[in-house]
Amino acid sequence: MRNNLSRWIYWVVGLVILAIYPQVVGIYYTNVFVGFAIFGLYAVTLNLLLGYMGVLSFGHAMFFGAGAYSTALALTHIQGFPLLPALLVGGLAGAMLALILCPLLVRVSGTAFAMLTLAFGQLIFVIALKYREVTGGEDGVGGYPIPSFNIPGVVSIDMTDQINFYYFAVTVIIVCLWLLWFYTKTPFGSLVVGVRDNAMRIDYLGFKLPQTKAVNLIVSGCFAGIAGAIYALFQNLVSTLGVLDIGTSFAPILMAYIGGLGSFFGPIVGSAILHLLEDVTFRITEQIELVNGLVFILVVLFAPMGIVGLLRQAKAKWFHKEKVS
Amino acid sequence: MSPTTAMYVAQAIHGLAYGMLLFLVASGLTMIFGMMGILNLAHASFFMLSGYFCYTVITVTGNFWLALLIAPVAAGICGLLVERFLLRKVHAQGHLAELLLTVGIMLVILEAVKVGWGTESMMIKMPNGLDGLISVANMTYPIYRLFVIGLSLVVLGIMALILYKTRLGMIVRAAVSDADMVSALGINTPLVFMLVFGFGTWLAGVAGVVAAPLLTVFPGMADQIGMDAFVVVVVGGFGSLIGAFFVALFLGELNAYGIQFIPRLAPVLMFAFMAIVLAFKPMGFFGERE
Repeated sequence: MRNNLSRWIYWVVGLVILAIYPQVVGIYYTNVFVGFAIFGLYAVTLNLLLGYMGVLSFGHAMFFGAGAYSTALALTHIQGFPLLPALLVGGLAGAMLALILCPLLVRVSGTAFAMLTLAFGQLIFVIALKYREVTGGEDGVGGYPIPSFNIPGVVSIDMTDQINFYYFAVTVIIVCLWLLWFYTKTPFGSLVVGVRDNAMRIDYLGFKLPQTKAVNLIVSGCFAGIAGAIYALFQNLVSTLGVLDIGTSFAPILMAYIGGLGSFFGPIVGSAILHLLEDVTFRITEQIELVNGLVFILVVLFAPMGIVGLLRQAKAKWFHKEKVS
Repeated sequence: MSPTTAMYVAQAIHGLAYGMLLFLVASGLTMIFGMMGILNLAHASFFMLSGYFCYTVITVTGNFWLALLIAPVAAGICGLLVERFLLRKVHAQGHLAELLLTVGIMLVILEAVKVGWGTESMMIKMPNGLDGLISVANMTYPIYRLFVIGLSLVVLGIMALILYKTRLGMIVRAAVSDADMVSALGINTPLVFMLVFGFGTWLAGVAGVVAAPLLTVFPGMADQIGMDAFVVVVVGGFGSLIGAFFVALFLGELNAYGIQFIPRLAPVLMFAFMAIVLAFKPMGFFGERE
């Protein structure tokens, strides 16, 4: 009971902080927060594969990019395309891409999976780069109208206002994260973890291994697509180098690993750390990637379970009466 | 020879030269993978690093041949240090940690190069005597590319000799197929790992120096060859040198003719090829394990 109450208090305090955050810190950090939240969601979708299913997606940017591009293209070419369908289009594109690729991807695991996703990621990157008529090549698609949040007769909120967009994006991302959290807690979510720990036993128990993997892939692709769609609405510019390049594939891996693979919220913590780090480094030097790389090496060397893992260890050490989960 | 045939032949030699370079890079990669189970994503970074070392040596001494001698060795030493002080420490944590560590190393090398040498691309002059054209049977061809093929063949020959005719080579081949067993027989496998890692980066370094006059030296010079080398290793089968050799040559030709006939889709061909092969043979053509 007490535990339940304190959980409610955490939730309320968290939501209140999120609500007053843009009023306190100003527009710049509001935008930093949106960027962090988008990548937090994106890193969580990667962790669905890496942490939960035990396969490393080296081309996750293809799902993110598919979502971002389809939202951007829908908004560019269809007059008056509404806001929520724009998000759904992004999610659908990510899911479709995962659906198309899953017959190949479920057959392999380990390094072959990583290489195959890398190959498809590069394939899609190169195609987007070369087919300028559709994707705009390196320049990308930009300057499309951002629709308002519209419930006819009730409310119409202008999304070009950055504060409004903050509330919208954070709400969508929290809903998505809640859905994903729920998803990992379902029996199916446990099945996915089972695939990671001992695929052969899951097979012997009579569960369908390829189908399980496929569904998890599609869920991951779908939410990565939604993250991409929010990115497209946020930046109002989608370019191959911004959403499809290999850096965009590496970023969530970094975040998931730095935060901690063993936990659902680890990647979000990782995203926060990387965004903060980026913000701090940018004031000192322009070599953000160098600092990122060094931090990454240090984390792999000294904190293999990530920051969340370190915290759990510390907790176990200092409050050893509490149970370590 | 008619001009059209001459063009096809020239393209074939182009492809051969690229394929040989690719094999130099991929052979190190596949040996490291076969032995240590690490897919070294930083491998191509050593290719680039060696290109920069080459640039520096040429600026200081003005001699390409000296650069060809020094730069790969310097890159190889960097590789040795990386293996000894970074990779070995995370070996116990499993392949994922090692893979991710190489991502970090890749980022650091790339950015360190940008800090040290800047981001502009730098020209490297071909050595005297190799910068001209040779004409045989009504077709002209740049000598330098023939030199690339020749040098790669020499390196390949030396490598084959070491691997198949010496005791060290025997140990290396044994470690590629079963490192634990070799270790149990009382051989210091960490030392072998380190040497092979260093040798692999040395090979990538040789390729980097040889490619430098063709590609010019810039931070992204390893992007294509690095990606292609992964394709070679994956398609050829992890840890298989023979597989890497054939696939590297095939991809070289695929690349050369792809650029000629479907320039827009040429970069896609490689990945499409890899996806098709993996779909039907997840272990690659000559691979025995995933």
